[in-house]
Amino acid sequence: MENFINASKKELLKLNEKFGWSLNSAELEKARAYFAGLGRNPTRAEMETIAQTWSEHCKHKTFSGPVELCIGGRKRLFRNLFKETIVKATLKLNKKWCLSVFKDNAGVIEMSPRSKWGLAFKAETHNHPCAVAPYGGAETGVGGVIRDILGTGLGAKPVLNTDNFCFGPFEKEKMPKGFLPPKKIYEGVVEGVRDYGNRMGIPTAAGSVHFDESYTFNPLVYVGCVGLIRKDRIFKKIKKGDLIVVIGGPTGRDGIHGATFSSADIDENTGSSAVQIGHAVNEKKVLDVIMKAADKKLYNALTDCGAGGFSSAIGELGADTGACVDLSKALLKDSSVKPWEIWVSESQERMVLSVPRKNLAALKDICGIEECPICVLGSFDGSGRLRVFFGNEKIIDMDMAFLHGGLPKFVKKAVYKPRPEIKHFTHKPKDYNEVLNRIISDVNVCSKEAIIRQYDHEVQGATVLKPFCGKSGNTPSDAAVIWPYAFTGEMDNYEGFAVSHGFDSQSGKINPYLMSFYAIDEAIRSLACAGADISRTALLDNFCCANPGNPHILGDFAMAALGCRDAAIAYGAPFISGKDSFYNQSKVKGKDYPIALSLLISAIAPVKDVRKTVSSEFKKAGNPVYLIGRIKGGMGGSVYSKIFKEKNNVLPPCKPREHMKDYLFLSKAVESGFVAAAHDVSKGGLAAAAAKMSFDGLTCKLELGGVCRGLRTEEALFSQGPGLIIVEVESGKEKAFLKSSCGIRISKIGFVSADEKLEISLRGETQIKADTKKLLSLWKNSLGDKI
Amino acid sequence: MKPKALILRGAATNCDMETAAAFNYCGAKAETVHINEILKGFKKISDYDILALPGGFSYGDDISAGQIFALKIRSLKKDFENFIKAGKPVIGICNGFQVLVKTGYLPENPCGERRATLFLNDCGRFICKWVKLKVNPKSPCIFTKGLPEEIELPIAHGEGKFLPRDKKDLEAILAGNLAPVFYVENPNGSAADIAGICSSRGNVLGLMPHPERNFFGVQGQKKEGKNFLSAGFMFFKNAVDYCS
Repeated sequence: MENFINASKKELLKLNEKFGWSLNSAELEKARAYFAGLGRNPTRAEMETIAQTWSEHCKHKTFSGPVELCIGGRKRLFRNLFKETIVKATLKLNKKWCLSVFKDNAGVIEMSPRSKWGLAFKAETHNHPCAVAPYGGAETGVGGVIRDILGTGLGAKPVLNTDNFCFGPFEKEKMPKGFLPPKKIYEGVVEGVRDYGNRMGIPTAAGSVHFDESYTFNPLVYVGCVGLIRKDRIFKKIKKGDLIVVIGGPTGRDGIHGATFSSADIDENTGSSAVQIGHAVNEKKVLDVIMKAADKKLYNALTDCGAGGFSSAIGELGADTGACVDLSKALLKDSSVKPWEIWVSESQERMVLSVPRKNLAALKDICGIEECPICVLGSFDGSGRLRVFFGNEKIIDMDMAFLHGGLPKFVKKAVYKPRPEIKHFTHKPKDYNEVLNRIISDVNVCSKEAIIRQYDHEVQGATVLKPFCGKSGNTPSDAAVIWPYAFTGEMDNYEGFAVSHGFDSQSGKINPYLMSFYAIDEAIRSLACAGADISRTALLDNFCCANPGNPHILGDFAMAALGCRDAAIAYGAPFISGKDSFYNQSKVKGKDYPIALSLLISAIAPVKDVRKTVSSEFKKAGNPVYLIGRIKGGMGGSVYSKIFKEKNNVLPPCKPREHMKDYLFLSKAVESGFVAAAHDVSKGGLAAAAAKMSFDGLTCKLELGGVCRGLRTEEALFSQGPGLIIVEVESGKEKAFLKSSCGIRISKIGFVSADEKLEISLRGETQIKADTKKLLSLWKNSLGDKI
Repeated sequence: MKPKALILRGAATNCDMETAAAFNYCGAKAETVHINEILKGFKKISDYDILALPGGFSYGDDISAGQIFALKIRSLKKDFENFIKAGKPVIGICNGFQVLVKTGYLPENPCGERRATLFLNDCGRFICKWVKLKVNPKSPCIFTKGLPEEIELPIAHGEGKFLPRDKKDLEAILAGNLAPVFYVENPNGSAADIAGICSSRGNVLGLMPHPERNFFGVQGQKKEGKNFLSAGFMFFKNAVDYCS
């Protein structure tokens, strides 16, 4: 590139715009100064490498950078917000069963002290790609997170996929130029996740879907993956002289600038050429090669080619040793691809391995059988420099230290303004049966069967607790429980694990700090219902946020991050990995449309004995029904408020230490066989939870008078706060259940009935008497009706 | 001597692990082998006593489900035919059933030509759910011997609608009791609710539902009154017992 080192600030910004680097002027200046010091202009490839490496996507410079948070005039400086919130909780909790946190592609926890297995867990977002190319964006999102798991330690075996989506309302059909309608995005995303996950042979068995107007232009697509990894294969170590080997698909022009593209807002000119093209079978071949090569210990390290392609993968692996690369050795989709494009292309299904020279032949043999392309690009040469050639032409020669340490830091401003609390109520419902009908058929409550049944959630034969359970397969589960006997070969070992999620962006609109507590509470509560060992819960944080250049947006984000820290410590559940995605915001006709601050909490915990797993449908007429926790009232963030435009925005308080005590009790009760069914009270409140438990033939009669003193009827039935679980207790074991409940806030609220009507009364007055078949049909068909 | 079970896979054959685990549990010695290892002469089909073609998306189900895997198998026609003629058990599950149909081994016919297809589900898309199956006790199928009248297994496929070439073929299948399992509620539009078919000697079975996914009671969608082993177990146990 000519004239770079002598360019003016304005000229640099022009270049930045022209090439789509998404760098700011301080970063451009830093690059200029580096090359001025070398006395030469950078090459295009060097600038592309810097842009990728320093992108929001790769370096997370907002979350990991300094932030000055101002609350009501009081200022507080965080040098590294991520380290002082998420990481701090993990360090403080210092759990010895956390085997690898924050440094690898995924976090790893121990299955149990006696097990030889660890669980690697990671979730990603692929929001920007899904906005412009839903099918390809979703496919490559799934492909990417699976490769993260394959590239963890010395390779983990993927055994579970998760998916969580946020869409705009389907009613929005007419869209401005350059934007797809939410329904189109939804269809493409679901098909993409389906076609990729199913072809990979990994069950997609846990997830959720959320609808809100703020996601109309910017859908959110979270994809996660859990892998099994041997405890003695968690760490990688590149040896000087190892070959840089690439296995998997050829490199093409697709996905140029994916990392920089996702570090900017979307507008009508955003194209889809930055989105990669997926090919699941190529990735399955890569998976099979890695599993075989790992068994034979043929490599010392590996990582996936994700954002930034070779430039990130080789750059990261070679950060300590340096690397010498010849791109003319790369396998290409198309011979006209330029050298710098090969270097940054995000073509999918490629992994980079660090292979001792003596093992190359054996690796090639495996690739031959599995029909998986393989090429050698160079070596990790011990020079401490990144040198990249195309044949004899040198296109990059930079210090690794500058590339990875040179990113300038500057303080971002954040302002948090608490929202005023509205305590009075504005809506007076007439008929609570009608309210329940509306809630159970609301898009945020209704069945997502139309999506879920398109995913193979049974492949690998390990899915003990499925998305739907009961003899009719109608009742939704709180968590997925996986028993990976086929992979481990340990058919007489009943250890497994459970995965669940928490998400509450509606409450986040009122109080982002509390939103984090709610999300973490919901995730852990769901694990407890399934009977997981929640004393060993590990969390992932996946933040999605609008443009952090707006101090109020960053202020809410910072509060949510602090909420994560405080809640994680209070619940005793450390974070092990996470990801953040900013710039989820669009400009339409000059107006900005930011998404609501969104935090997905994914939780994982071991299950000591999968045979004791409990599902959520009522099991036997006459069994007593208990409520764990206290209904606290307040309609803030509820589905009810959204439907009926109730202005009351009081959020029920969260008492983590009390809740955790309750959940540990439940977890024990499940293990002891006292519990026939359990379901958490979440979106739609207690009435919706009781209805969902009634979808397998039996229902219940409940009296809530004793558990909602001083509350309004709608609060008792439909408020959503943390801490609540409905539990059906085995009638013969009620005494033992009660005996073990010392100090726990449980209340008997009714019994299971063989009737067809769900009945809920308050102080003797029947408020709900609803036909469960009708509720089921409303719940099942509402999303379907809209497709 | 334990019978040797060959779990034959290709790219994106995904259910090899759990199929191998099922045979191992029943006392066989399962070995998972890539079709290329056979094509290159590293392994021989005749060295095995049982052959399983597991579920999955072999070669991405490009062209149509199981088609490319079937073509690879056809290039070893003699070896496979000898295996079947020897009366050794062969089971194709889901994608494996699709492969057996596309190779022409099922429905069985003297010319070894392709006489049926497994077409796109009536609903037009992939379905994963549990289905009830009616077991035909009169079937010669060796895998389904001793099963109760009704069992449950999960299905997970996009192309599972069984369509024989014509009415005559369908009648022959029904009259010969060559359909050992029928759907109680047809999920995909299969002719005569057929969920699987077998050869006249009963040693070759292809079916869309997955017996390996309801092998242990704990795998069921119903979480009460579970037995340790479930209906799917019998499919594998029968094959292993048959060889012993």
